[in-house]
Amino acid sequence: MFHKILIANRAEIALRIIRAARELGIETVAVHSTADANSLHVKFADESLCIGPPPSKESYLNIPAILSAAEVSGADAIHPGYGFLSENAEFAEMVQHSGLGWIGPRPEMIRMMGNKVRAKEAMRDAGLPQLPGSDGVVRDERELTRLAEKVGFPVILKAASGGGGRGMKIVREREQLAQMYRTASAEALAAFGNGDMYVERYVERPRHIEIQIVADERGDVVHFGERECSVQRRHQKMLEESPSPALNEKLRERMGRVAVEAMKKIRYNNVGTIEFLLDERGEFFFMEMNTRIQVEHPVTEAVTGIDLLKEQIRLAAGEELGRTQKSIALRGHAIELRINAEDPVTFAPSPGLITAYHAPGGLGVRVDSVAYEQYRVLPFYDSMVAKMIVTADSRPAAIMRARRALQEYVVEGIKTNIPFHKRLLQFEPFVQGRYDTRTVERLLAEAAPAAG
Amino acid sequence: MDVEKLRAILAALQGTEVTRLDWTNGQERLTLRMGHPPAPVTALHAVPAGQPAPAALPTPPQVTPVAPAASSAAAAAAPAARDDTFTVNSPFVGTFYRSASPDNPPFVEVGQVVKKGQVLCIVEAMKLMNEIEAEQPGRLVDSLIQNGSPVEYGEPLFRFEPV
Repeated sequence: MFHKILIANRAEIALRIIRAARELGIETVAVHSTADANSLHVKFADESLCIGPPPSKESYLNIPAILSAAEVSGADAIHPGYGFLSENAEFAEMVQHSGLGWIGPRPEMIRMMGNKVRAKEAMRDAGLPQLPGSDGVVRDERELTRLAEKVGFPVILKAASGGGGRGMKIVREREQLAQMYRTASAEALAAFGNGDMYVERYVERPRHIEIQIVADERGDVVHFGERECSVQRRHQKMLEESPSPALNEKLRERMGRVAVEAMKKIRYNNVGTIEFLLDERGEFFFMEMNTRIQVEHPVTEAVTGIDLLKEQIRLAAGEELGRTQKSIALRGHAIELRINAEDPVTFAPSPGLITAYHAPGGLGVRVDSVAYEQYRVLPFYDSMVAKMIVTADSRPAAIMRARRALQEYVVEGIKTNIPFHKRLLQFEPFVQGRYDTRTVERLLAEAAPAAG
Repeated sequence: MDVEKLRAILAALQGTEVTRLDWTNGQERLTLRMGHPPAPVTALHAVPAGQPAPAALPTPPQVTPVAPAASSAAAAAAPAARDDTFTVNSPFVGTFYRSASPDNPPFVEVGQVVKKGQVLCIVEAMKLMNEIEAEQPGRLVDSLIQNGSPVEYGEPLFRFEPV
């Protein structure tokens, strides 16, 4: 087992890692920028080192400074948390070449999954279903028609050089196909200088379902069930829950089984998350894989009763998984709400000094945060202030608990998205469990209720 | 010089017979010596003393002119003497050395006057010996770090008074 872990991250996830390490009897070294000198992760670690000025590029992304900090502090392993350097294969390699333990998957896994095209190919070969469509650029209208009929309407035409939602057209009827293809291709040519198009099945109401993978260094793999992360705005997750109201036992078993089989084939190690798109018919398709611990890991901890961070550290140190799929049982229901320092209506960031702070408590409420009264939310980093996780016997009970806990949550001095979450927890499609990745859009389109 | 470039240069030299490289590009100067860990290899400027810290910081780390109300007995005994002293701070995290090797004398001694650009100490980071130079002339009042100790980014290393 490791003796001293350096945490190459900040804020709540750094504190989360400190907590896991301490319970394993491992010492911790926090690194921080000058701006984070008063952060709780610095206060609660056994040691701390300032590694640079506020901009992430010069501190939390500063590889030489982090490796140097590991050396002068005598750490024998590095935990990268999420974000920052967590999915940087080169950094993982440098850590290993320095003779330090890397708490994460092997660099080659990170590299494979970091390349969207390679990841899709590898996962297709490993047996994960892919969204039906053209494997590459559509050659002509005849090929397009043939592919679209095979894929089934509606389809989406995507410019090969497009991105960020630009250069896309949804085609619902066969009769519109040729005309829309010509228009889309001409537009793509004008906008990107390249008229090449892809075609893919278009899912009207996609749900984002992800499977938590846990694997040891010997190739033993289990899954810890799913998380639903369909509550998102502009691809930013806002709330996650487990289990997903969209899955039944049969579908859960099938998704978990194909995910585990794929991971065994590629010999995945440590923890990771496979993201799937689930359509209205209950068909699921591989989207991408995250080769790190995720923000929303606590909902899985709540329903499995297993500390994922301790598991991750233990497995990185070479210990055996020692669990069978049968031994992993999901109990109850958990919901995580991300509390961000942002305007609840415009979503503009709202950094600043927290002048009053009270976190909720009581049975089944967990708050992971580095916030406290007089804590300053800094403009240099992301706006997440806290994660509030509620657990209860059933989904309706968890929703009631989340509403109750939000009533107790006091944050003054900065704006937060708590009012948004209060609305969401009353929004009928969410309460019914019939929501998708566009539900937030629909909620926001409704007139905001009077303040209060 | 950014880290990427430095790493590329180091990678290119790995496994070669090269033991020394001098690189000049405009204002940038890099000296590398391979295979002799105790030798100084790069010259870098210290964190500019007295650099104003961003206003949003709860604890400005590099506001370095010593306050007139310094509470130490020495300051109380000679109130006017230390008003305008300044510190030289570590530009990165690493290990602090006062001399080029254990057999050499320290680069600077208390009471000594240094010129701009004079080497003050070495901060070792990632096996690289980085020479820290004076940004401005001054007389060394105090050497604040024990030889061989780890230092953080922005940590004061020396206190000088203007000359």
